[in-house]
Amino acid sequence: MLAQPDTPAANASRDAVIDIDPGASCLEIQGLSLAYAGTPALSDLTLRVPRHRVTAFIGPSGCGKSTLLRALNRLHDLNETVSRRGAIRLEGQEIHAPEVAVAELRRRVGMVFQTPNPFPMSIYENVAFGLRLQGGLRKRQRDEVVEWALRSAALWDEVKERLGASAWSLSGGQQQRLVIARTLAVKPEVLLLDEPASALDPISTLKIEELIRSLKSQLTLVLVTHNMQQAARVSDYTAFLHGGELVEYAPTDALFTNPRLVRTENYITGRMA
Amino acid sequence: MDITSDTHSQHISKQFNQELEELKTHLMAMGGLVEKQVQDAVTALLDGDSRLAERVRDNDDAVNDMQLKIDDECTRVLARRQPAASDLRLVLAVIRATSDLERIGDEASKIARNAMSLAEAGNGSKGFIEVRHISEHVRKMVRDALTAFARFDIDLALEVVHEDEAVDSEYTTAMRSLMTFMMEDPRSISSVLSVMWILRALERIGDHANNLAEYVVYLVKGLDIRHIDPDELDEEAIKRRG
Amino acid sequence: MRRLRGEGPWAWLAAGSVALSLLLLVALLALLAGRGLAHFWPGELVQIELDDGSRFAARPGREERSAEGVERLYHTGNREWLGTPWRWIEVARIVEQRRPAELVIVERRRWGDFIGRVAGLEEDGVALDIDDEAARWTTLDERLGRLAQLREARDALRQQAVMPRVRALAAEQDVASRARLEDELAAANAEVLALQARMARDRVVLESVTGERLALPLEEVLALQRPNAMSLPAKLGAWGERAWRFLSEGPRAANTAGGVWPAIFGTVLLVLLMSLLVAPFGVLAAIYLNEIAHQGRLTRLVRISVRNLAGVPSIVYGVFGLGVFVYGIGGSLDEWFFSEQLPSPTFGTGGLLWASLTLALLTLPVVIVATEEGLARIPDHQREGALALGATRLETLRRVVVPMALPAMLTGMILAVARAAGEVAPLMLVGVAKLAPQVALDGEFPFLHLERKFMHLGYHIFDVGFHSGDVEAALPLVYATALLLVMVILVLNLTAIFLRHHLKARHGALPR
Repeated sequence: MLAQPDTPAANASRDAVIDIDPGASCLEIQGLSLAYAGTPALSDLTLRVPRHRVTAFIGPSGCGKSTLLRALNRLHDLNETVSRRGAIRLEGQEIHAPEVAVAELRRRVGMVFQTPNPFPMSIYENVAFGLRLQGGLRKRQRDEVVEWALRSAALWDEVKERLGASAWSLSGGQQQRLVIARTLAVKPEVLLLDEPASALDPISTLKIEELIRSLKSQLTLVLVTHNMQQAARVSDYTAFLHGGELVEYAPTDALFTNPRLVRTENYITGRMA
Repeated sequence: MDITSDTHSQHISKQFNQELEELKTHLMAMGGLVEKQVQDAVTALLDGDSRLAERVRDNDDAVNDMQLKIDDECTRVLARRQPAASDLRLVLAVIRATSDLERIGDEASKIARNAMSLAEAGNGSKGFIEVRHISEHVRKMVRDALTAFARFDIDLALEVVHEDEAVDSEYTTAMRSLMTFMMEDPRSISSVLSVMWILRALERIGDHANNLAEYVVYLVKGLDIRHIDPDELDEEAIKRRG
Repeated sequence: MRRLRGEGPWAWLAAGSVALSLLLLVALLALLAGRGLAHFWPGELVQIELDDGSRFAARPGREERSAEGVERLYHTGNREWLGTPWRWIEVARIVEQRRPAELVIVERRRWGDFIGRVAGLEEDGVALDIDDEAARWTTLDERLGRLAQLREARDALRQQAVMPRVRALAAEQDVASRARLEDELAAANAEVLALQARMARDRVVLESVTGERLALPLEEVLALQRPNAMSLPAKLGAWGERAWRFLSEGPRAANTAGGVWPAIFGTVLLVLLMSLLVAPFGVLAAIYLNEIAHQGRLTRLVRISVRNLAGVPSIVYGVFGLGVFVYGIGGSLDEWFFSEQLPSPTFGTGGLLWASLTLALLTLPVVIVATEEGLARIPDHQREGALALGATRLETLRRVVVPMALPAMLTGMILAVARAAGEVAPLMLVGVAKLAPQVALDGEFPFLHLERKFMHLGYHIFDVGFHSGDVEAALPLVYATALLLVMVILVLNLTAIFLRHHLKARHGALPR
């Protein structure tokens, strides 16, 4: 860590943001500012998210971490009061470019929410939902993808006997894994997870975390959590956001043993600011 | 980032503050006891006071007990608080420091045992000058390392690291002169050997004090300098970092 | 009780109000059930001799206390001789009261009930010589049975042989076929006439306690009972039979007798049509308001207005329906499509369609409000979950939001049905009829006759209760009909509730 390049920086926080090699990065956020009805939520964020790694966004409530996550999926499109500046590039392609269809973007960038939100249909239909939207698959192929997705989400063995049962009959943890399977079924490149385990019990949480780690080989994961131990457990890189700004962005090992900035230190060790 | 000695009292959880504070207090108490053991052992040797030497030997149990107790507290903090960053480093540094302090205690009782045998033999005070000299040096190192720990004082800690080199060279010189004694007077071989053991113990104490100082650097800066040659240590870089 | 202890006066007050409300509700239902169901019970008949020597047979009814003493109401029947089937008698004037087992009460197609004795049987105008009382009853039952069979055969013949040919004739152009059809029709009609002639064979000779005689064709007899000779199970059977006839037959004697089947049918059909009309409009409006419209000041204003519409008096909707649907749209429809029938209106007068449209309008706010509440309860992350999979807003609505809001929509329908089934006032303006023997659904093309007037239980209550000449006969019918109306609404609601429960059970409760 001593070998870190000693760049003289005017901004102290600039020093605490690790520079991911552009070739290894999947998402690139540049100068992103976002405001709800004039109230700024993110200001001038610049970072790269490494491909096939788990990157965690941590920070206190209202720090903008969820806002950032939703921006990556263009979920803010629905809200007319949101104004945005700056660029978000997925594999080098600006996601707000006119030629990018939002449905296609959301297929490439899946999202899992805090509360498990299976649809009011059977387990099978939940997983097949995205496939049916795209269409063009025969029943056999669809069955295969559903099984693959459920296996990838480590849920297959628990539900293979009752694929026709209502998704709401599953436990909270199973529901969340079902939602992940549903997202995986459309083969996304990036999976955004917004507090995916905050509504779950510790065992279900561990299963989700295990799943996150195992999915790393297939896709890039971005995790928002207010549970610092969780970020420390599952992520490879951690970004600490505060007040809509990126404070520190570093490999998780470094950030949790030896953060560079007092604000980060205070947050992750539970000190008063 | 740099931490200071009061960093650990700013947690939202007052209980956590208190637990970390107790860790530090207990470590300092153990350090004080160990330092006194070293001093008493050397005094017993120089004064030929075998009763004092005996007391030093017996007190070693108290040192061991303290180590167990502090380690226990550290385990509890790790299990219940899952400390991160500077808190984590503090707990790790304390665990390591207790182990070194316990070794220093062991060395002190080793000195005391040798002092007892020398006092019984009742002959000679050859090499005592060297012992006095080195012991003073080593005791200062232990004291400084503990002070650096207590104050999170990186300058003082680095001083201790450099001090150790001086002690090592003094030790080599002293050994050489004791060899000369043995060659000159073969009858004094057994007593000189005891003194050599004592010098060896003092040198080990210096090494442990050096370790303590290195933990302070880890604690404050998050850098592990244990296996870096002191001469190659870029002190400026260490101090600037944060 | 234990739970209430120590809760203070407020808990007792709250519990008391609940108890009082329940008590009133139970009292209401008990009154309706008691009075309504008692109407069908074959109460015993008495033969009475008064202090002036006159005699009569009757069924006793309620009593009233007046200045002269206790008076009792008797249902005497025999309107053709007595002028009125009801008679108030001072109890003190009764000299003798007997309950002869042979007294009969005959429900007739015309002239109301007869109360008296069976004096004999006639076949083709010739008296049958049967002395034995028991044998006479057996014969009577047997002849009634024969008549029922003949009637069934005749009705079947009409349905299967006569009506199809009448319809075919109306459509057939070819002369040869027409001639053949006409021949067949004539043959069928002759068969019907022959059956009817056979039905007219038997007559029963009735005699009142004062000696007047009457030979009544058995065909005219709807029911014949000897209540004083009946055992309890027989009475129960007779009660069930009368209740069933009340449900399944049309009204007679200016709605004061007979059944209410057309009214039940009209009510249910009206409510179902109303539901069919209001459901899509209400649901679509709610979806627009909650899911699609920009949530600004205008949307809020619209929402408040819709909620306030629920409070508009129903008669106002009736006036609107009359003005817009009946005269406006209905009048235009008549001019465009049914001009050959003018000046007699087809759609330009009140009818089933306009009534259901008016009721749909009336219940629209209820459906919108309930559906909107259901939609608002669906957490946003459900919608976002679908959007995040690349679904469009329409797909999200159709595949996720609407299925989840279905129970709420059904709740809206339940409320709408409950309100619509009980409405009478607006219907009086847009198509309900005092008597409409033809129900709006039959085997005749186009099967559902939206322009027809219809009967309605609520209006039937109003009509029977307040516009009937025979108040004493009408009163029990009012109770029975009211009970029926409550039951119909209950059944409609239970159906919707069952449906909603089924939907909820399919996917479990809404995850919170």
